[in-house]
Amino acid sequence: MSARAAILSRLAAAQRTARLPASPAAGPIVTPSHGAEECLERFGSELAALGVDCHVEATPARVRECVGALVAGKRVLAWDARRLPYAVDAVLSDAVRGGSPREEQARAEIGVTGCDGAIAETGSLVLLSGRGRSRAVSLLPPVHLALVRPEDLYFSMGEFFARADGRLGEEACCTFVTGPSRTADIELTLTLGVHGPGKVIVVVGP
Amino acid sequence: MSTPSAFRERVRSAIGNERLHVALGRATEALRSRRSSALASLDGFEDVRDLSRKVKLEMLADLSSHLQRFEERLVANGVEVHWAETGTDANRIVTEIARRHGVKRIVKSKSMATEETHLNHSLQQAGMEVVETDLGEYIVQLAEDRPSHIILPIIHLTREDVGEVMHRRIGVPLSSDPQTLAAYARAKLRDEFLRADMGITGANFGVVETGTICLVTNEGNGRMVTTLPRVHVAVMGIEKLVPTLRDLDAFLKLLARSATGQKLTTYTTLLRGPRRPGDECGPEAMHVVLLDNGRSRLLAGENAEILGCIRCGACLNACPIYKHIGGHAYGDTYPGPIGAVVTPGLRGLHGWTDLPAASTLCGACRDVCPVRLDIPRMLLALRREAVREEGAPLSLRLGLKAFAWIAPRPRLYRAATRLARTALRSLARDGWIRRAPGLAAGWTQVRDLKAPAPRTFQDLWKEKKR
Repeated sequence: MSARAAILSRLAAAQRTARLPASPAAGPIVTPSHGAEECLERFGSELAALGVDCHVEATPARVRECVGALVAGKRVLAWDARRLPYAVDAVLSDAVRGGSPREEQARAEIGVTGCDGAIAETGSLVLLSGRGRSRAVSLLPPVHLALVRPEDLYFSMGEFFARADGRLGEEACCTFVTGPSRTADIELTLTLGVHGPGKVIVVVGP
Repeated sequence: MSTPSAFRERVRSAIGNERLHVALGRATEALRSRRSSALASLDGFEDVRDLSRKVKLEMLADLSSHLQRFEERLVANGVEVHWAETGTDANRIVTEIARRHGVKRIVKSKSMATEETHLNHSLQQAGMEVVETDLGEYIVQLAEDRPSHIILPIIHLTREDVGEVMHRRIGVPLSSDPQTLAAYARAKLRDEFLRADMGITGANFGVVETGTICLVTNEGNGRMVTTLPRVHVAVMGIEKLVPTLRDLDAFLKLLARSATGQKLTTYTTLLRGPRRPGDECGPEAMHVVLLDNGRSRLLAGENAEILGCIRCGACLNACPIYKHIGGHAYGDTYPGPIGAVVTPGLRGLHGWTDLPAASTLCGACRDVCPVRLDIPRMLLALRREAVREEGAPLSLRLGLKAFAWIAPRPRLYRAATRLARTALRSLARDGWIRRAPGLAAGWTQVRDLKAPAPRTFQDLWKEKKR
């Protein structure tokens, strides 16, 4: 008998005799709906609690200006131009991309991405993998700069799963990034940037 | 396997270790208070607990069909699925996968399942290089130690210990500053990530409806090992399933809050197969190894409920016993209250009867468990089983018989208590008995016994009625 058959038949037999306690009555989690303004406000306060800098800019030109200032003089690794909102690629002309040799990507000092969602309740950025949206960009450099459009905002993860299910199914990887990389393994002392970026910056556009 | 004397020996050495006490006390206390404040941030916390408990119990009641559906979805996502009956089988399967892909260098993110099977040892025997990349696990590996907490593997080490180990093993300058030490580890492990051929992870959850492996890490090592190497292998206990993404949402609300007091772990990664055409990174091949290793047997028994555990570690931090003896004393992969049920469940009770006995049954573990596992009930079930199989000691059997005979005879009972009281009081000095004779010697071996009150409750009651 194969291992698969053996395990499944043991489980089937066990399920017949299992003495599991009765399961409690419980309904699904209901999150009340939240307006766009409320979402943005909550997103901002959660980011602040996580130590993430958040810039809110009123026009695409201001977004580009802000990003330009943040990346000035730094080696940049970025998502492909057409994956970034607000035409910010205009200020990232020298950037290394996901398709560049890995050594070059590993030397980058800042990674610039868009996002596929942002969760207000937890201050999380949702990043799907896919063509032109290399996972390494939000992972290898010591700083991660993410661009968020107001329409990317969801109040909760549950809401994101419910509304974005289709897109989620197509891609190999979906990551929720909630603040900078951290560890407390040594005497519970908080240390940032142990493997992923130690600094996360969010720019919210119009 | 563990013998009773080995367990007592481990406990004795842990209790005698004052530094360990201080470290454990501080860390568990901090984690408990972080957990409490994090829970306050969750609306309807009790409802989410009920929901998660319900989801797990219903899933376990029909685990075989859920597993088959999960397998179907994984395969549809381009994942190769393997089934391992034992830890040895899992190790053999992972080694074969590595050989098939011509793998030399392996990076691992923290995984309890592969800790349980001692996978690293097998891979090293096969000539491969394996590096743990979670900071705590990396130190454990360098120190040739074992993790002593589910969430904080090196809760038992001080910063000086860590500095010394890193200095000795990888030659970095001696330091006791956690930031500096973490920076050295980052640089060292970054090279490993970039050079590795294969990444090994566990799985925090497997989502049936979508064939998704969910991994959570704070450091980002879980992302590194599933993004950079060309092969990814996830070793997952067969009980780790949740039916839908909606259910996953409920568990994620509980996991980080219960474990570290965060609303969400920094990186929550949902993996659905190898890289797609056009992806610039991610593994070219993804494998999932479904591990039984005693779980199906557990499901058949009285303690099937324990398979609902999400490995948050909250019960360790709440347990007065864990706080005194630390994780190593439990002698196997899973320490604390959860380990006292899981270890005998996975390995068989023989040789592990001390674990369920090492509990005050205070119920703190049940109170903090995000899925409300009734751990004290399960510990009692194991104690009953131990007595059924191995019998109680003669002294206990005779003692209980004598008690059963005396207790229903009021005059005899009163005479016996008076006699015992007088005898005990004669041994006491300053209200404490430091060394008791005969059967009571076991008690005073590790603690003092308070002398009985001069008058019994019965005496006081009689006087009050007068």
